[in-house]
Amino acid sequence: MLKVENLRVNVENKEILKGVNLEVLPGELHVIMGPNGSGKSTLALTVAGHPKYRVVGGRILFNGEDITNLSPDERARRGILLAFQVPPEVEGVKIIEFLQQVLVELKGMDPVEAYDLIVKKAEELWFKEEDLHRYVNVGFSGGERKRLELLQAVLIEPKLLILDEPDSGVDVDSLSIISRKIDELHKRGTAVLLITHYGRILEHLDRDDLKVHVMKDGRIVKTGGGELVERIDREGFSEIFEEVGA
Amino acid sequence: MTETITMSDAKAIIENQIEELAKRNKEPEWMTRIRYRALEAFERAPLNDPVISEEELLHFIAKPEIKGLPENIESLDDLPPEMKALLDRLGISEVEQKYIAGLAVQTDTGVIYNQFLQEWAKRGLIVLPTEEAVRMYPDLVKEHFLKLFRVDESKLTAYHTAVWNGGIFLYIKEGLKVPFPLHLFFLIQESALAQAPHIIIIAEKNTEFHLIEGCTAPILVRHSLHLDMTEAYIRDGARGQLTVLQNWPEYVHTRPMTRARIGRGARFINTTVGLGTGKSNVANPKYWVDENGYVELNGILLGQKDWFVDLGGEMYLQGKGAGGINASKAVIMDESTVITRGIIRAEAPKTKGHISCDALLLSDRATMETYPGLVSKVDDAELSHEAAIGKIREEELFYLMSRGLDEEKATQLIVKGFLEPMLKDIPMEFLVEIRKIIELAVSGGM
Repeated sequence: MLKVENLRVNVENKEILKGVNLEVLPGELHVIMGPNGSGKSTLALTVAGHPKYRVVGGRILFNGEDITNLSPDERARRGILLAFQVPPEVEGVKIIEFLQQVLVELKGMDPVEAYDLIVKKAEELWFKEEDLHRYVNVGFSGGERKRLELLQAVLIEPKLLILDEPDSGVDVDSLSIISRKIDELHKRGTAVLLITHYGRILEHLDRDDLKVHVMKDGRIVKTGGGELVERIDREGFSEIFEEVGA
Repeated sequence: MTETITMSDAKAIIENQIEELAKRNKEPEWMTRIRYRALEAFERAPLNDPVISEEELLHFIAKPEIKGLPENIESLDDLPPEMKALLDRLGISEVEQKYIAGLAVQTDTGVIYNQFLQEWAKRGLIVLPTEEAVRMYPDLVKEHFLKLFRVDESKLTAYHTAVWNGGIFLYIKEGLKVPFPLHLFFLIQESALAQAPHIIIIAEKNTEFHLIEGCTAPILVRHSLHLDMTEAYIRDGARGQLTVLQNWPEYVHTRPMTRARIGRGARFINTTVGLGTGKSNVANPKYWVDENGYVELNGILLGQKDWFVDLGGEMYLQGKGAGGINASKAVIMDESTVITRGIIRAEAPKTKGHISCDALLLSDRATMETYPGLVSKVDDAELSHEAAIGKIREEELFYLMSRGLDEEKATQLIVKGFLEPMLKDIPMEFLVEIRKIIELAVSGGM
């Protein structure tokens, strides 16, 4: 489904990704771990098409199509959704109107039908109907922002959901609902690419099912199964890096 | 300009129009005298307009009607095709389209008033064309007409006063609260006269009203200069709202002149929505605020094409505890120029004022200037200002696009969101149209 081939990416003329290879098959759940600055978020933002992240080598394929040069909205239309690490505030735009428009544009839904669906799904992520009349992310706590990202994922039901640290800056209760929603989406067939620092978000997920990649300095240096998560939790990254000579 | 109009030509034309108006309106002599006083002042009054020169003004006076429009519009099919297309795109009903095209409006009185308002008239709400009010309520009009302006302040005030025609007289009896917004939309399409409606609002003590003037849809105007004057008297404890919707065609210069006196503990919210500002739009409304009174000027400005917009706003906080807010949000596109220059003058103790100006620049060929002015004559006033001029943030645009909205739709959403907080008091039926017009403007479709 997603195939990243020898991807090299520059941000403001600095090379951040130095040749990343990754393949995610339909329905798979991949986890990318690694220390700060290893290029995890860059990978996520590049796959989603952020204009600041310039591909200088390699390519990104989605369902066999080269999407390296597509705009973010065209990627979204093909089924890719990125849940942001720090979703921006959009002043004056009400959540409900934004989500309605997204569902109308992306899924061809009728606005009234979309409204009802949004209210229903929002409740599952602890948003009351009146919360939906707030502006997108404006004055939101960390937990609220991440829950709103998950709400969008649940509504859009992408083919590939990329989550950039859905567990950072989140309270314990929000973490548990976010984790459960990821599991729910995964079970319904969404392929997931999850970026995280630590394993707690994975508690609700079936570890045997995971493919785990460890990044360092713009490369994936080790790939393994769920056992890698426990090992990193226990030992940190340094032993792994030593082992692979990275 | 093919021929030169001299000052004496212009004065002769104005004099003829005064005579014609006096006769047509069966005007009492005192009003005609005011017109003549204005004519006299016209020559010596200064003209401080950043766009219109004296030569141009004299030309407008001689030929107020613009050329190139269809002579007789008898049906919507006679409209210029671009305008018809725009009305269709906005989804405006045929009845309303007729209004906009001037088909449903009589030449001498364009004020919409119906049975509903007649019912309210019994309770003390007077809504009349200003000409009729002059005849029916001479004392009231005399007491309030041209009391907030001086006839010789500028050539534009003098010209307006000499030939004013049309407009609304709104009177609200003490204690009366009008629970619904009054939407008054007037168009006078008499080609030989200038567009110079005069609006008088008298909200007696402890009244409430919301007057919405104008129209969100683009209007087929036959004049290249629009000079309206509004005088509002918001008495003690009254709460008034005046929302002005403007969507002028690109050949019109507009010079709205608005002034209000706000009584003790009274509140006046003046919102101007400049969807289409016309070729140039220069306004410097003034407000005098008494003890514990409050005034708010909200400006929503869409700068498009090569248009020039200059919105001032002077607030005189004259009574203890008076307050004022001058807030504007401008979206600046194409090669337009938008200037905002509010001034708040604290002249009494414990007064508070705030100026805010936000601008979103969508084009690097457009210009935004803002000059906030705070003047304090007392030591315990609280005056502040903030201004921010910026582009659309890349992160926001990317966020919306990553949800499947293309760049144009994402930009439209951000622009609508930017203006949204300023549109809080505007009824839904207008909002829908306003949002659509913003979308079209952002996409360059106006």
